Amino acid sequence: MPRVFLTGLGFVTSIGNDAGTVTRSLRELRHGFELYPPFQKPDIPCKVIGTIKDFGTDSTDPEDWTFPAAYKIKRELLRTMAPNGLFAHCAMLQAVADAKLTEPDISNPDTGLYAASAGSPFLLHHHNDRLKQLGVMRCTPFGIVASIAGTLNFNLIAAFKIQGVSCGFSSACASSAHALGYAFDDLVLGRQKRMFVVGAEDGNVDAILPFAGMRTLSLQTDPNLASRPFDAARDGFVGTGGATVIVLETEDEVVRRGITPYAEFLGWGQASDGYNVAISHPEGGGSAAAMKLALRAAHVAPEQVDYVNAHATSTLIGDISEARALRSVFKDAARRPLVSSTKALTGHGLSLAGAMETGFCGLALREGFIPGNAHLTKIEPECAGLNIPLTTKNTPANIVVKNSSGFGGANVALVLKRVA
Amino acid sequence: MPDAVSSSLGTAKPNPPTPKPFAPEDEAALREALKRCSPSTFEAAVQFRKTGNAEHVPAVVIGVIERFVEPDLRIKLKDADDDLRLIEDLGIDSLTMMEIVILVEDVLQMTINNDELRNLRTVGDVKTFIDCKIRGLPLPKPTKFIPIEHIGSVMPVQPPFLFLNEASVSSTAANGKYKITGQEFFLQGHFKDNPVMPASIMLEALGQLAVLYLLEGAPTEPGKMVSSQMIFFTGCEGVRAHRQCKPGDILTLSIKPKRMKMPLATFEGSIRVGQEKAVIVEEITLTFGFVDAVNQPVPITVNGADHGSAASSAESAAATPPLRVAMGG
Repeated sequence: MPRVFLTGLGFVTSIGNDAGTVTRSLRELRHGFELYPPFQKPDIPCKVIGTIKDFGTDSTDPEDWTFPAAYKIKRELLRTMAPNGLFAHCAMLQAVADAKLTEPDISNPDTGLYAASAGSPFLLHHHNDRLKQLGVMRCTPFGIVASIAGTLNFNLIAAFKIQGVSCGFSSACASSAHALGYAFDDLVLGRQKRMFVVGAEDGNVDAILPFAGMRTLSLQTDPNLASRPFDAARDGFVGTGGATVIVLETEDEVVRRGITPYAEFLGWGQASDGYNVAISHPEGGGSAAAMKLALRAAHVAPEQVDYVNAHATSTLIGDISEARALRSVFKDAARRPLVSSTKALTGHGLSLAGAMETGFCGLALREGFIPGNAHLTKIEPECAGLNIPLTTKNTPANIVVKNSSGFGGANVALVLKRVA
Repeated sequence: MPDAVSSSLGTAKPNPPTPKPFAPEDEAALREALKRCSPSTFEAAVQFRKTGNAEHVPAVVIGVIERFVEPDLRIKLKDADDDLRLIEDLGIDSLTMMEIVILVEDVLQMTINNDELRNLRTVGDVKTFIDCKIRGLPLPKPTKFIPIEHIGSVMPVQPPFLFLNEASVSSTAANGKYKITGQEFFLQGHFKDNPVMPASIMLEALGQLAVLYLLEGAPTEPGKMVSSQMIFFTGCEGVRAHRQCKPGDILTLSIKPKRMKMPLATFEGSIRVGQEKAVIVEEITLTFGFVDAVNQPVPITVNGADHGSAASSAESAAATPPLRVAMGG
């Protein structure tokens, strides 16, 4: 069975738009939150998001967008993108450079791409409004490919001339973790030699504000206090957007190309709560089952796990469910792994979360640190017994588990290992 | 029910300008719509919207096309002739064409149907098309790309005296290519041990392209078509040869009608090899005649165009009337 490695990363996130800045933010626990101007209105109760710096995508016209000058993107490509497509395109360029991939490495039948985003509610609304106001035939021919779920894969496959497998994943906040899992399977089954896995979200008003209706968003007005996973005073998640691209390759490719991977991807597991469309299982049933299956697939015992990057989004119910799941998987209280949620720094990236945080784990494994759980002052009593570091540990982890959960009670756990 | 000829000329309803008063808010909307176009494009659009004068239309159309062309290709539009091709020369794909159309529709306040779009292949096609729509004239025939089989099946001239490998014909021009193979029978004697394409044959090739234009591109009267049996050479003026053309050279031929009035059609023509001028003809004049278009005399099918073997070429050459546009000497 081929072994699978993380060989390249690209980031456009609220805590940094390159691997170096992201690493520094994770080490120093610097968050990426700001008061979001469109939310500063009396009728909008939530105020803070994880903002993407140096990108301006407020316009519905991609030619108005601003982004760092280092990225040269032709109008021909830009015109069909949603904001999350722009973020992902830039992250993709980073990942390609980071993994030292040449054009023939990218465009061939053995290299595929899986992507996850919620599409662009922002552009979907815009184009549908135009359709109603100006008439059917005065709509841009790009309205569909720029806005529906799948816009991310459509654009990246075409822009990077992907010839291998490709599709989009849609399991809400577990989407890009699912994409990673199935990409792993394609590599292990010998169907592909290399996979790009992409998570991205617009992270703007239309993507985030609908969650206010579910009462899942934090109403904190202080960016320093808004996202507090596992804290007793947490009051909901903080939305964010951006993109992360992860390059996965088989061992043969790693050897052939002579590159040093970030980490080995040992295996994964998934399980569903079978409980509620939007509320996580109170005992974390699906999450615990996913972790157990992942550890079994990876041939790793619970005691061997050094660090869990939790899904914990800072919601009242979700964090408790996951804490219970963690306690049931890692039964021996004396030998529990360190657990932290980096959503305390980034906010919740929705479809992007799984890929973004797996990327963070890749950085932590290569650089030899374990990110602390920021903004935690008084632990939620129901989350007691977990080994949550308040500050970053400068000790390398050997085995890392990454949890992700999405609507409908979809749960994914991924297992990564340090490359010696 | 419209007959075949009038439908091929286009059945679009006239779309004459509706002289609505041009309000300040219209100007603001126009400025927004054309914000990525040159100032002169905006000015031309304002003039058109104020006056309905169609002479401003080409500037608007070219300005809109320019806005959608990648910056490094825009230079081609600076002194573009009408033969500049949208796809091959300007990199405009069908989706970009839609963008151009939507903006032109918006700016000129007109409606363009999908099936009218498919035929627009050159800058000239687009200009002529929009102009006809604005003036409420019937739409011109689109640029047609004519492969060798089709050329052979419609032309009165046949191998080994046919000097067109491929051609494209619109209502305003015809372009063609011919590669000098070295196997042409006359090169054995022209000249001894030094094969050079005779200038007279190059004129002949231009004449053949003009024949193809008359058969495939020229405007006709309703119910009529140009007869391939009635086209003859009458004269030429201002012929200059600039370059020897030899086996391996690819001749790029083009002709444009200057005057057309039954029974005479006068063209200007040129032949280039790459970027080099080879032959210029100021005027080349053919005579032609119409027949009723009821019976299409030549079915245009690949099977029907069997000019592959030397034997069949010889037969068909013998079966068709002798060359009509040969210049001799």
